[in-house]
Amino acid sequence: MSAISELSTVHRVKARTEAERRLRKREAGKDNKAGYLFLLPWLVGLLVITIGPMLASLYLSFTDYSLIQAPKWVGFDNYVRMLNDERLHNALKVTFIYVFVSVPLQLMLALAIALLLNEGMKALPFYRSVFYLPSMLGSSVAIAVLWRQMFGTDGLVNQVLRLFGLDATTGWISDPKYALSTIILLHVWTFGSPMVIFLAGLRQIPGMYYEAASIDGARRWTMFRQITLPLLSPIIFFNLVLQIIGAFQTFTQAFVVSNGTGGPSDSTMFYTLYLYQRGFGQFQMGYAAAMAWLLVVIVAVFTAINFFASKYWVFYGD
Amino acid sequence: MAVNRRRFLIGAAGVAIGGAATSGLAACAPGSSGGGSQGGGGGGTPGEGNLALAFWGNPVRNKNTQAEVAAYMKANPKVKISTQPGEFNTYWDKLATQTAGGTAPDIIQMDMAYIAEYGARGALLDLAKYGVDTAKFVEGTVDSGKIDGTLVGANAGINSAVLFVNAKVFDKAKMDLPDDTTWTWDDLMQVAAEVASKAGVAHGVASMFGSDAFFGAFLRQNGKELFNDQGLAFDASDAQEWFDLMVKYQKAKAIAPPQEISEESTRPLDQSAVVVGKAAMQYYNSNQLEAVNAVAADPIQMLRYPSRTGKATERKAWYKASMLWSASSKTKNPEAAGAWINWWVNSPDAANIDLAERGIPANGELQQQVQSKLSKDQQVVAKFIADIKPELGPTPIAPPPGGGTLGSVMFRHQTDVLFGRKSTADAAKAFVDEVKSNLKV
Repeated sequence: MSAISELSTVHRVKARTEAERRLRKREAGKDNKAGYLFLLPWLVGLLVITIGPMLASLYLSFTDYSLIQAPKWVGFDNYVRMLNDERLHNALKVTFIYVFVSVPLQLMLALAIALLLNEGMKALPFYRSVFYLPSMLGSSVAIAVLWRQMFGTDGLVNQVLRLFGLDATTGWISDPKYALSTIILLHVWTFGSPMVIFLAGLRQIPGMYYEAASIDGARRWTMFRQITLPLLSPIIFFNLVLQIIGAFQTFTQAFVVSNGTGGPSDSTMFYTLYLYQRGFGQFQMGYAAAMAWLLVVIVAVFTAINFFASKYWVFYGD
Repeated sequence: MAVNRRRFLIGAAGVAIGGAATSGLAACAPGSSGGGSQGGGGGGTPGEGNLALAFWGNPVRNKNTQAEVAAYMKANPKVKISTQPGEFNTYWDKLATQTAGGTAPDIIQMDMAYIAEYGARGALLDLAKYGVDTAKFVEGTVDSGKIDGTLVGANAGINSAVLFVNAKVFDKAKMDLPDDTTWTWDDLMQVAAEVASKAGVAHGVASMFGSDAFFGAFLRQNGKELFNDQGLAFDASDAQEWFDLMVKYQKAKAIAPPQEISEESTRPLDQSAVVVGKAAMQYYNSNQLEAVNAVAADPIQMLRYPSRTGKATERKAWYKASMLWSASSKTKNPEAAGAWINWWVNSPDAANIDLAERGIPANGELQQQVQSKLSKDQQVVAKFIADIKPELGPTPIAPPPGGGTLGSVMFRHQTDVLFGRKSTADAAKAFVDEVKSNLKV
């Protein structure tokens, strides 16, 4: 993309005659054609793999579609049914709790570790990889299975607690009181990708600001608040937007930890998991499509709020 | 800063839309995943053409099925069968998407919980029309494959709901196995509570109340059923009776603490409570005896579930189809598909390979023929299936569309009761309401 914009800057000298202007225009068109050609693989992918199915699902959301029989138009029935679906409301509640607890916790942890790693320690690449590792593993099925074992009633966690003389028989994933917290913990633990992004952002803050501040006698906390946070705010914002969107779509961990049931008692019934159950478990693909569109609206609203609020706290250097 | 405001906003918005779209929406388009082969070409005569065969299994069943297909193709060189082995949970997602995309396999291994979903929606072939002969099937084994009077599934093997017993746990408690021909639900509770406390295991009896089979048995002994052709055949008071019994068991410590029960429900067979010696008894299906004994260190035996009256002949047992053979109504080779299924359920060639892995053969003659070739566990099962003949009630109908999830809905509401979050009356009502609304759509 940048190569193309450089090409067009060559011609930015003002055209003097009508003929020249036309020539310029044609050449610019050629440039654009090349550009679109390069974009083609992505465009085709977007149209065929994303936009096409999205439109199809929009249509399906207005139908009664069992997957087996052809879809039947029902108008807004699916959307109306969602108003009275208590399990859906519960799934929304579970998902909102998850998003609003796990995302801030995860970002704070990621920032803290990134600050620590930015202190110019030896073997930084090693530590960076070690801390990043959970992100690679965290959303995998294997780790969720491991998690299930660790937090079982006879799992590692309870066995360690018993070493300290506690009578630990808590079902961390099988008691509705604790199951969601355990999954939140699993998510917070995968702080690696925001951490790496934070680290990159921290690296870009010029050292002279800190030098100047320390000459003026500023303390570390002041430097963090007055220099690091404002200059890092676009990165924080980026991570926040990304993590919120990701958290709304959490599926794998809940699916594996609860064995696809969202249990116990729907305490880990995430929105996407319920959508999946409706679509593939109960053959109500029309309803599931309507649910998917509600999720898009919710994510869009939250992203919009985020962008609106960002005016008040995100500082762009330019 | 290197991040330019405009570029950043565009990038983030793109991520927002793209991310949200790919996760949920794209998955809901018809035919967006799945794939698989389509049975195409070929004439319509029996024993000719290409067939795709989908089944879920285990290592033994995979091997058997390959051998059966090879034997069939050798005898019928004009037929080419390609297999699509799978695993139970993902099998149904794949089958649903394949069916939606018009690429359903020609021959489908079917389960009782799903047969109506497909059969009542016209996705399955009328097998009687295409040469599947059930004349030699023993009584009560044909009807499970009928939806609205049409044979859409051929019974691939008989099993029955039972209690598996870990004999070593009973040894440890210095108790004899109870007499399962005379016991009542209360006797079961007392035995379970006693063996659990004496042997120091968490579960006296495991997986019992969340089982729709046992709940069905409990209803049948009271003259009701889970389903009839009108829909749900019991009401909230019946469900409450079952839930109350569960609370009684819980107070007597005949069942485990709630978190253990909830955890048990997510465990695979090889880690289940009766296998690892954490339960004295557990609900299972009879055909699983061999698989369970293959992984259990302790000897596992089988008991009948109890009755209300203390007479086994009044316990209203039934022969359940452990699985069925169905064919897609869209198959291009209905004759060939029907011929294969007929061969599988009626010929000694197939039965001698499969033996009782999919359950005891429904064909009475084949039952006799394979008897001597069965493994020790399979012989126990075969004898059990024969022994309970006087105890059979009418064959229950397949759950209607939307009814296949009854068990999981019930268990969720029971979990609320076990954790003390709901009264049995509220939970029973919520359970019945939810199943009813699932049936409506």
